[in-house]
Amino acid sequence: MTPQWDPEKPIYLQLYQQVVTRILDGYIKEGEALPSVRKVAAEYQLNPITISKAYQMLQDEHVVEKQRGKGLFVLAGAQELMLNRERERFLVQQWPEVLMQISRLKLSAEELLSNKVEG
Amino acid sequence: MSELISVNNVSKSFGKKQVLSSVNFTVSAGQIVGLVGPNGAGKTTCLQAILGLIDCEGDISVLGLHPKKERVKMLNDVTYIADVAILPTWLKVSQALTYMQDIHKNFNREKADIFLAKTNILLTDKVKALSKGMVTQLHLALILAIDAKVLILDEPTLGLDILTRRQFYTHLLEDFYNEDKCIVITTHQIEEIEHILTDVAFIRQGEIVLAQSTEAIRDRFSLVAVDNEHLHSAEALSPLFKNSMMGLTTMLFDQQDKETLQNLGKLTVPSLADVFVGMMNKEMN
Repeated sequence: MTPQWDPEKPIYLQLYQQVVTRILDGYIKEGEALPSVRKVAAEYQLNPITISKAYQMLQDEHVVEKQRGKGLFVLAGAQELMLNRERERFLVQQWPEVLMQISRLKLSAEELLSNKVEG
Repeated sequence: MSELISVNNVSKSFGKKQVLSSVNFTVSAGQIVGLVGPNGAGKTTCLQAILGLIDCEGDISVLGLHPKKERVKMLNDVTYIADVAILPTWLKVSQALTYMQDIHKNFNREKADIFLAKTNILLTDKVKALSKGMVTQLHLALILAIDAKVLILDEPTLGLDILTRRQFYTHLLEDFYNEDKCIVITTHQIEEIEHILTDVAFIRQGEIVLAQSTEAIRDRFSLVAVDNEHLHSAEALSPLFKNSMMGLTTMLFDQQDKETLQNLGKLTVPSLADVFVGMMNKEMN
C-alpha cells in the first residue's frame, strides 16, 4: 500500500509523523525494530533518501537507536517522550484554535463531553 | 557523493537534424534520476550516448571510463534495458539464465531465480510462450540480477499493467538499489515515480531545460490559485504556465518570492508533472 501524501508537506516529515503516531498508539512498541529503509522504500514507492531523512530525525530525537547491523529500534521511554512532546505541541499549537472555535460556537463543557460519550 | 556519470557538452545530429545540443548533467552514487521529456526530445539518444552505442560530440565519462573506447570494461558495472528490449523467441528461460551466467561475471543466478519465482514465469517456458508483460519481467530479472553500479532504464514499464509496474519498482528499490549505485530512468508516467526519484532532468528538443533534485524543485516552483483582483499583478511576474477554468486562474511560478506570491492567492506546491508542463511550455509561447 502506498499512503496518500499531502503535497504541501515534505514526505519525510509526514513519514516521521506517521512513525511518531504509531508509537503513541502503541502499534510500534518500545524495543521493537522499525522496518528497514529498503522495505519502506519498496512498500511505499519512495526514494530511500526520503526514508533515511525521517529515520535520522527519529534518531536525533532519541526515539530510536541504531543497533549495528540490525537496524533501528524504538528506545525505552520513547512513548513517554513522544506523549509529552505531542501534548505540549497540541496545547501550544492546536488547542488555542480549538478553544477559540468552542467559544465562538458558545459550546459548554457539558455539551462537548456528552457528544463524546454518544460518539 | 561520488560522481558515476558525467555528460559534458554533448551534441548529436542525425544528418541535418540536431537531436542533442550541448547536454550537460552528472549523476552521483545514490541518485535515482528521471530523464523526462516529450516524444522525440532526445531521451533515448542521450542514453545511447552514455552507453557508447552511438558517436557524439563532447565528453562522457561513466565510472571514469570512456563509453565507446572502454566499453567492455564499462559494461562490467553498467546495465541497460532498452525501450525496445527483445529476447530471442526460441530461448528457454533456463537457457537465458545460463547464458547470462556465462557471459557476465557480476550476474547472480540466485537473485534472478528468486525474482522469477515471484512471477508466473517457469524455467521451462520458451520466450515465445510468454506474454508481453512476462517478457519484460524476464528481462528485468536478468538485468537486475547483475550487481552493477549504474543502471539505465529506457521506459522500463511501457506496456505493463499497474500491478506489474508496481512490482517492478518494488523489486528495483528492495533488491537492486543501494547508496553506492545510481539509476537513470526515462518514463512518461512521471506521476507514478515522482516520489521514487531523487533528481530529475527535463529534456526538450535536445536541450536539458531543468536538472535538479526533486527537493529543490519543490522549493523553487510554486502554484498559485490567483484571486481575480490580482490577475494583472500576477501576470506581471511572468508565470511559466497559466490555466483558467470556472473563474479560477492557476499560475505556475519559477523562483518567485513566496511572500509576494502569498499576497496573490492560495499557494500550493506543484507536482513534478505540473512543473514539467510548465517547463515544456516555457518560451514556446
